[in-house]
Amino acid sequence: MQIEIPKDNWQGSVNTVTLGATPEEGGTRTRTVTIGGQQTLPFLHFEQTPPNRPVIALEITAARPGDWSPVLLDAWGDAIDDPGNWAGACESAGADLIVLSLGLTEADGRSADPESAVRATKSTLGGTGLPLIVLGPGQAELDNDFVIAVADATKGERLVLGLCEDSNYRTIVAAAMANDHLVVGRTPMDVNLAKQLNILITDMGLPLDRIVMDPTTGALGYGIEYGYSVMERLRIAALQGDAMTQLPLLVNPGAEAWKTKEAKVGEGVPDSWGKWEERASNWETVTAVALIEAGADIVVLRHPDSVTRVRNALDELMAVG
Amino acid sequence: MAQHSVLFEDHAEPVTVRAGTLLVEAARRAGIEIRQPCGGQGRCGRCAVRVVGGRVRRRSILRLSEEDVAAGYALACQAVVEEDVSVVVPPADQIERRLSTDHVAPEVTVPRGYAREQSQTVERALLRLAPPSMDDQTDDWARLRTALRIQNGIDHLRASLEQIRALGGILRASEWQVGLTYDTAGEPTGSARLIAIGPGAAIAADPLVGLAIDIGTTTVTVLLADLDSGEVLSRAATYNEQITRGEDVISRIIYASSGDGSDELKGLVLETINRLIATVCSKAGIGPGAVVKATVGGNSTMMHLLMGIAAESIRLEPFITSINAPPLLTAREIGFTMCPDGTVDLLPGVASYMGADITAGVLASGLRSSEETTLFIDIGTNGEMVLGSSQWLVSCACSAGPAFEGSGVVHGMRADRGAIEEVWIDGRSFEPTLRVIGEGRPRGICGSGLISLVAEMFITGILDKGGHIDETLDTPRIRRGSHGVEYVVARRDEAADGKDVSITAVDIDNLLRAKAAVYAGFNVLADRVGVDLASVDRVLIGGAFGKYINVEKAVDIGLLPDLAWDRFDFLGNTSVKGAYLSLLDRAAREEVADIASSMTYIELSADNSFYEAFTSAMFLPHTDLSRFPSVEASVT
Repeated sequence: MQIEIPKDNWQGSVNTVTLGATPEEGGTRTRTVTIGGQQTLPFLHFEQTPPNRPVIALEITAARPGDWSPVLLDAWGDAIDDPGNWAGACESAGADLIVLSLGLTEADGRSADPESAVRATKSTLGGTGLPLIVLGPGQAELDNDFVIAVADATKGERLVLGLCEDSNYRTIVAAAMANDHLVVGRTPMDVNLAKQLNILITDMGLPLDRIVMDPTTGALGYGIEYGYSVMERLRIAALQGDAMTQLPLLVNPGAEAWKTKEAKVGEGVPDSWGKWEERASNWETVTAVALIEAGADIVVLRHPDSVTRVRNALDELMAVG
Repeated sequence: MAQHSVLFEDHAEPVTVRAGTLLVEAARRAGIEIRQPCGGQGRCGRCAVRVVGGRVRRRSILRLSEEDVAAGYALACQAVVEEDVSVVVPPADQIERRLSTDHVAPEVTVPRGYAREQSQTVERALLRLAPPSMDDQTDDWARLRTALRIQNGIDHLRASLEQIRALGGILRASEWQVGLTYDTAGEPTGSARLIAIGPGAAIAADPLVGLAIDIGTTTVTVLLADLDSGEVLSRAATYNEQITRGEDVISRIIYASSGDGSDELKGLVLETINRLIATVCSKAGIGPGAVVKATVGGNSTMMHLLMGIAAESIRLEPFITSINAPPLLTAREIGFTMCPDGTVDLLPGVASYMGADITAGVLASGLRSSEETTLFIDIGTNGEMVLGSSQWLVSCACSAGPAFEGSGVVHGMRADRGAIEEVWIDGRSFEPTLRVIGEGRPRGICGSGLISLVAEMFITGILDKGGHIDETLDTPRIRRGSHGVEYVVARRDEAADGKDVSITAVDIDNLLRAKAAVYAGFNVLADRVGVDLASVDRVLIGGAFGKYINVEKAVDIGLLPDLAWDRFDFLGNTSVKGAYLSLLDRAAREEVADIASSMTYIELSADNSFYEAFTSAMFLPHTDLSRFPSVEASVT
């Protein structure tokens, strides 16, 4: 018996956003990444062939991170001491793009400043041809100073600059507008707050195809259901035609998963938890895959093995039939 | 380009201007400076002039009613000269008055067709009793009751022990001719409760008077009414003495629950009321002993504190009162200085945060006499709202915090002398123009001023939709102060106390929370009954706050739903009006009881859609801008 699968006919679609610019487009990237464009909920191939694959980003830091798990430090080895080398290693590990987190201090312990931020960015751009997301250290005034300097020094690269938050977005958005970059805004796990920040950013005149939103998520076992639900509701609102929710979604399963005890702790845990390295990467992978199924367009990871695992899962999700 | 002449009355010579010139510009040429507090953007209505000859093209008629336009009024900053015209520039104070008349609540009026015989439960009888003798051994009380039954059809009369004690003396002193006042309220048919008894002639000469009382958390209001004619003889209002023990109901409850707090608060409100009773009686030349009845409206906390009932359960989950509908009491029991056995009728409430002030308010608002979908609101520290029509009523209450009362903000104050009550900001220079209560220099900002200020800051772009001050704007009025970013509303050289009056980022956040809570309440109410807020026919605003609020600005910030202005009505103190109607008319009193028992109350803290509605309202004017089309038009 033939069964007719009912199809939804949504009014809206997710914005198509392109990250990075090739030399012909005014940048230096060897390739660009395009996300968004969905007109259905994730992976409903019978309604629409996904126009763009969700992409995998790897996070690097401007100076050797002081609070990362030894599992991660071991995985990356010496590359971690130079953002250019690290970015190159990420590209080799199969990342689609790089997230550079600017910290408060440099490798030698001095306070980071706009010049060091620019140096780290340029080094990263030199080490990879992948598109780049650059995030400030998370303190409003420093974020603004660093991001302005980086935006000016990389005009035309179509970097994604962040983090825009509802109390601090003007400077970053203005810097992005002036230098042909994009922005990412983060809001704390709430549909309305996400929408409000998008309104504030677009009110400044930045086109919607240059904004990505980070709705904040939790790791597996640490609130992922709540984050999943917010993403799902944002996506449904987008498909229903609400323009201020039609932005591609960026989430950080890497940062979240590596905060959990299961990923961080290798000793004094039950044997049944299994091998530490594998468990940690699995935690990150499962978190990332769940969020991809919720509608994530960019997942930011930390461990090279997780890239392979998430990519395998993605291949299966993208395969028809 | 065509030239036209513009004649300003009181000026002999007309000025000649090109077609397309604005009236303000023509006035300037004629040497007349018309005030434009909003910077000529057609928002404030302060530049209204009257065109008495010829016609102008009105680019905008914001703040003008249809009648205004019909009478020739135009906003000088928006009126384009296209032919010869003559114009009257009204004095500034006249415009102020015209614009603010809608804020003045109507006085209480006697209900049409009021007739004591049909409406009043308090009645009087003049009885001549046959004196007792050796042949007629009937006791005094039975003698009185028999006479009353025969003459007035009252089969059962109740009296207090004090009254029985005095009875024999009064009967003999008055030589068996006595006047009786009794109340049939709350008694079975044919029954009554004795209020007063006295020598016949004296009682008959006394006017029959009663009190309508509203116990507000901030203000207590008392009306003295003649129960024969229904006329209000005198009125008085003053701050509730309890205010020194906490400004809002929650802090009063906390105060009452420790030590002698409860007795103290009861004493303070009684002092307040008794002082007001003395005032209204002396104004009317009546002795307080002649007051035979008092009907009281007020929120549930005020009622509990008045009765000396522990109010702690009102504050704590699951927010339960001891009693919503108190029985009829006497002045002796409650402690009012009036006829000791006079009836004290505490009107019924619905829930902890939906008290008799609101049920009385719904009665007074006339909400139930119309098929139209009506929203009745009373905003203060708590926002109470009732949605309904003649067929149904649903209500909820939300905690708005103290921002609307002018406290909880750094330079907030009560709507008192020196309070900034309205603000206009020039969209280019960001310089404010203020209206101050008492017309002196400003000391602080009251609730309505705060709403006005935030609305103007938003419309002129000082605030973004998230309520953040734009520090990049070029004006010395935006700066970093000890409380973070702030906007200076009055510099120290402009202010009364030589201190800057400013509004801080934290203040704005507080106001946003307050307005979001109120709007979210509307939202939940409307959703619960499947009504679209945009289709609400009337919005009736009660309470003191509503008397001064500017609807346009309240809509701009998303406090009130975006409806045509003519759907809003200000009713003033509806609680005391409802108490007055209930005092006069048994049918009105029955209706209050019916309102209280038929109203569905939604406890918002138990409603899972409230938080969602709240966060979406935590934005200017709202995350869903399509709910505020008129604001959308003015900000984009």
